[in-house]
Amino acid sequence: MDNQQPESILKVTDLCVQYGTFKAVKEVSFDVRQGEIFGLLGPNGAGKTSTLSAIEGLIKYQSGSVTVDGHNAKEKPLYARAAMGVQLQSTSFQPELKVSEILQLFAGIYGVKLTNERLSAILKDISLEDSASKRFGQLSGGQQQRVSLVISTIHNPRLVLLDEPTTGLDPQSRRQLWERIEAIRERGHAVVLTTHSMEEAESVCDRIGIIDHGKVITIDTPQALIEKHKNDPQVIAVSRKGRVTLEDVFIALTGKTVRA
Amino acid sequence: MHKNLKIMETIIPKTSTVLGALLKADFTTLWRNRRAVVMVFLVPIVILISWKDLVAKMGGPFALSNSLTYGLIAIGLMGYTNSIARDRDKGIFQRLRVAPAPNWTIMMSRIFVQLAMIALITTAIFIVGYDYDKITLTPTGYAVTYLTAIIGGAVYLALGQVIVGLIKNPETVNSTSRLVYFSFVIIGLFGGMGLLGKQIGQMTQWSPYGTVKTILAAGMTPGSWTMDTTNALLATLGYTLVFAIIGIKNFKWNTK
Repeated sequence: MDNQQPESILKVTDLCVQYGTFKAVKEVSFDVRQGEIFGLLGPNGAGKTSTLSAIEGLIKYQSGSVTVDGHNAKEKPLYARAAMGVQLQSTSFQPELKVSEILQLFAGIYGVKLTNERLSAILKDISLEDSASKRFGQLSGGQQQRVSLVISTIHNPRLVLLDEPTTGLDPQSRRQLWERIEAIRERGHAVVLTTHSMEEAESVCDRIGIIDHGKVITIDTPQALIEKHKNDPQVIAVSRKGRVTLEDVFIALTGKTVRA
Repeated sequence: MHKNLKIMETIIPKTSTVLGALLKADFTTLWRNRRAVVMVFLVPIVILISWKDLVAKMGGPFALSNSLTYGLIAIGLMGYTNSIARDRDKGIFQRLRVAPAPNWTIMMSRIFVQLAMIALITTAIFIVGYDYDKITLTPTGYAVTYLTAIIGGAVYLALGQVIVGLIKNPETVNSTSRLVYFSFVIIGLFGGMGLLGKQIGQMTQWSPYGTVKTILAAGMTPGSWTMDTTNALLATLGYTLVFAIIGIKNFKWNTK
C-alpha cells in the first residue's frame, strides 16, 4: 500500500494581509492536498475572505507566500490563477448574458475550446439543458450556484476555491451542491471551502482550519477536532442536547460574542 | 480518495483568445442594452434634425460637429461610466479578475466596445445629416472625422474614467455623469454660441467640449485646419492624458 501523502496543491505560508493599519490576516499558514476538501471556518471578519482574496490575487498581501500547483502567486500570477477555479461569495455575471454565453465567455478566458456537444454535456450535467437560452438573472439561486460551480471547474483546475457556495440555498439544493463538491474531490481536485455552516463543514470537509482575528487557531479533521476538544469545559458549557458537535468546538474556540 | 485524475496541465490562454471572449460578451451585452444605446443616440440626432435651419447659416460642419460632440459626451459619460460602475458594483470585474485574464484586457475590451459605439454614432450622424439636412463632406472629410471622433471620444471616456475613479456608488456615478452631461449640453448650446457672454464663450471654446467640437469641425473640412485647430487638438490630447491619469490612478476594481 502506498502511504505517501498526496501532493500539496495549495501552500499558504506566513500570509499577512493589512488594510491601512488593520492587520486582517496574521501569518496564516496551511496547505491543501490533491483530492482533499479543506474547510476554512471563522466568524464574520475573522480573515477568511481576506485569505481567499489573497490566494485569488484580488488583494495584495504584505508578506508570506502563496503557491498554487507550484506557481508562486506573486511571481507568476497568471499561472497561479490559471491553476485555480474560483466561485466567489456573490455569483456575478453580466445579467444580459445567457447561460450558454456565460459558459462560452469563461471557456474562452480559460483557453478551453467549448464545442456545442461539450456545452450541451455541461448543461445536462448541471440539469440546465433546457435553460441554455435563459439569462443568468432568470435562474433560481440553486441554478445560479450550479452554473457558478461548473464555471469554476470548466478548465479542470488543480485547485477549486469556493467562498460560501451554499449560502441562501434550500436543503435540497444544498445537499445537491455538496454532492457536486464531493464529485470535484473525487476527480482529484483540491478544494478550499469557506462556510458558516458547521453541518456542511462536518459533512463535506476532510480537514478544517479555524481562523479567528486573522490567525489560524487549529487545523485538523472534523472528527479529530471534536475528539480533541470534547472534554474541554468551555466546549461542554456551550454544547446542547448532550452531544458535542463541531459547532460547539467552534463556539468554544472563537467565543460566543456575535461579530459585526 | 480520488478515482480519476484527469486534471489538465496549467495553460495560460493566448491574450487574443481572452480578448476575443471578452469582446464577444461585451458586444452581446451592448446589443441586449440597445434601448439604452438608442437613448445615447437620441439627443445628438434630435439636435441635428432641429438645427435644419441653422445649417444654411452656420454651415454643415457646424451642425454635424456640435451634434457629434453631444453623442461623444453621451457615450463617454453615460454609456461607458454607467456600465463600469454597475459591473464593478455587481462584482463582475472581480469574477473576471480571478481568471487568468490580465486586467488590461478587461478594460481594453470595454474601450473597444465604446470605440465601436463612436464609429456607429459618427455614421448615424452622417446619415441623418445627409438625409435631413443634405450635408455632404468630401471622402477625406469623412475619413478624418472618424479619426477626430475617436480622439474626441477618448476625452469623454477618460472623463468618465475620472467619475468612476473618484466615485464608487453606482447611483452617485449615474447622477454625477448625467449632471456633467447636461452641463456640457447647456454650456455647449448657449456658451458655444456666445449667448452667455464673450468670456464664457472663450472658456467654452477651450473646454473639453469646445476643443473636441473644433477638431471635429476642422476634420470635416480638412482644408480649414488652422493653428488654432492644432492647439485645440493638443488641448484635447492633454485633457485626455490628465483625465486618464486621474481616472486610472483612483480606480478600484470593487466597491468595498
